[in-house]
Amino acid sequence: MKKLTSKRDFLKRIGLGLTYLALSQVLDFKKVRAKYRPKIVILGAGFGGASCLQYFKKFSNKFDITVIEKKRSIQTCPFSNHVIGGITNLSDITFDLMKMRENKNFDIIFESVSYIDSEKKTVKFENDQLLKYDFLILSPGIGFKWNKIEGYNKTISNYIPHYWDGNKDLTLFAKKLSDLEDHSRIIISAPEYPYRCPPAPYERASLIANYLKMIGKRFKIILLDSKNTFTKKDLFLNEWNINYKKSIEWISRKNGGKVEKVDIRNKSVTTNNGSVFKADLIHIIPEQRASEIMFKSNLVKKDWCDVNPNSFELVDHKNIYALGDSINAWDMPKSGFSANSQAKILSLNLINRILDKDYFNPVFLNTCYSFSSANRAFSITSWYRVNASGTKIVSLGSKESDIDGTDYDRFEESNHAKGWYKSITNQIYD
Amino acid sequence: MGKIKLIVVFFFCFFKTIQANEIETYIILENCKSCHGQNYEGNRYFKSLKKTGRLMFELKMKEYKRSKKNSVMSIISRALGDDDIKKMADFIYSEKINK
Repeated sequence: MKKLTSKRDFLKRIGLGLTYLALSQVLDFKKVRAKYRPKIVILGAGFGGASCLQYFKKFSNKFDITVIEKKRSIQTCPFSNHVIGGITNLSDITFDLMKMRENKNFDIIFESVSYIDSEKKTVKFENDQLLKYDFLILSPGIGFKWNKIEGYNKTISNYIPHYWDGNKDLTLFAKKLSDLEDHSRIIISAPEYPYRCPPAPYERASLIANYLKMIGKRFKIILLDSKNTFTKKDLFLNEWNINYKKSIEWISRKNGGKVEKVDIRNKSVTTNNGSVFKADLIHIIPEQRASEIMFKSNLVKKDWCDVNPNSFELVDHKNIYALGDSINAWDMPKSGFSANSQAKILSLNLINRILDKDYFNPVFLNTCYSFSSANRAFSITSWYRVNASGTKIVSLGSKESDIDGTDYDRFEESNHAKGWYKSITNQIYD
Repeated sequence: MGKIKLIVVFFFCFFKTIQANEIETYIILENCKSCHGQNYEGNRYFKSLKKTGRLMFELKMKEYKRSKKNSVMSIISRALGDDDIKKMADFIYSEKINK
């Protein structure tokens, strides 16, 4: 009897011991979890990165957040054509990031990044210092494919800047326009898809025309296109006809619009059917790909980063997330609006992941406004979702403004575009 | 062939609605904030949705949805079912959004 009791005691003790062990492990785990403050690093403070920050800083009591940005101020690409066209001041589209240093919810480092080590989970700066991360969010913007056009490369682009990445002083372009003689000829070369802001080359042509018309100069803009069509084409052609008559001519790829050679000395370009166009001002918008840092760090296989459409985590690199212009976002265009919409899902689902909650089903929205003159604009809009198999982002059907819209419709859309810009920049940079 | 294409485009544009659940309604509204402001306060160019009032919000959204004009709001509203619009109003005109 005694023996049996001691056996029972023995089993009881073992049982209690195991329970204690299991409980202590759980409690220890909870202790670690409670102390665990994941380090989130956001690379890039453009529309994508700054939009992510807007969400993460609400959780600054749970996460350590660091933003890395090479520039001390952001010059936005949306509304940059307005600066070129003399409608808006450069200061109106430039946002000072220095004041972010005063925010105690996150750190900001103004440095260039030279390498990302996805194995060691570190970011290496140009000054060789390292920063560790638990989760890295990449929103570095766009990169360029050089040497696609004979006579045009990165060095030459310093003499005929593309003004497509917010790094150059846009007022210099405006100055070049104001220096043009009467009856000048301007050539704009539009790249192949995909590239940042698909309607922007055509808006740029429109606002250059608007500016030259405003200062009373006669001109001819020849828009040489590497594509056979473009977004909102009928709307642009209609607006050009209304506002600038035959001053803007669009030449498609099949009609010899793809620029293959640039001769800066003779101020001429040669296109795919051998035509030579001389001009007083040549403006080349180069073909694009993911940002250079993605290639330096081997985070990209082809031109764009592949991501999971529900989380925006890189397909081949755990704990690294990417959004905006450097990713393949399937049906979504590369725009500030898209980057902001992607940032919402990326941030909320990363927060869900860290807090052990279920992912939200993504819903995205994009509207691209384009101006044909200072107070005339039109748009294209679409909702997006992830397809049933969870493999890509698909449009629910995009629609453009009506071709027969009234003057008031165009004016109203120009106000909506300004309203969007004001609202979004207030949210992400204030 | 052209007619078939048109029918397909029409189907995708007008019958593919979001049919959101409560969480997705929250995500939809996060996207609305891009123009209408963090707390739907509006700005010089957009009216405050808060001040618009729930009844007017639902009426306007349904009006946009029915409109044949391709304004941004019509295109946005067409993808939303009446139920989605009601759920959006529930969010905007309750305290939920500030939590």
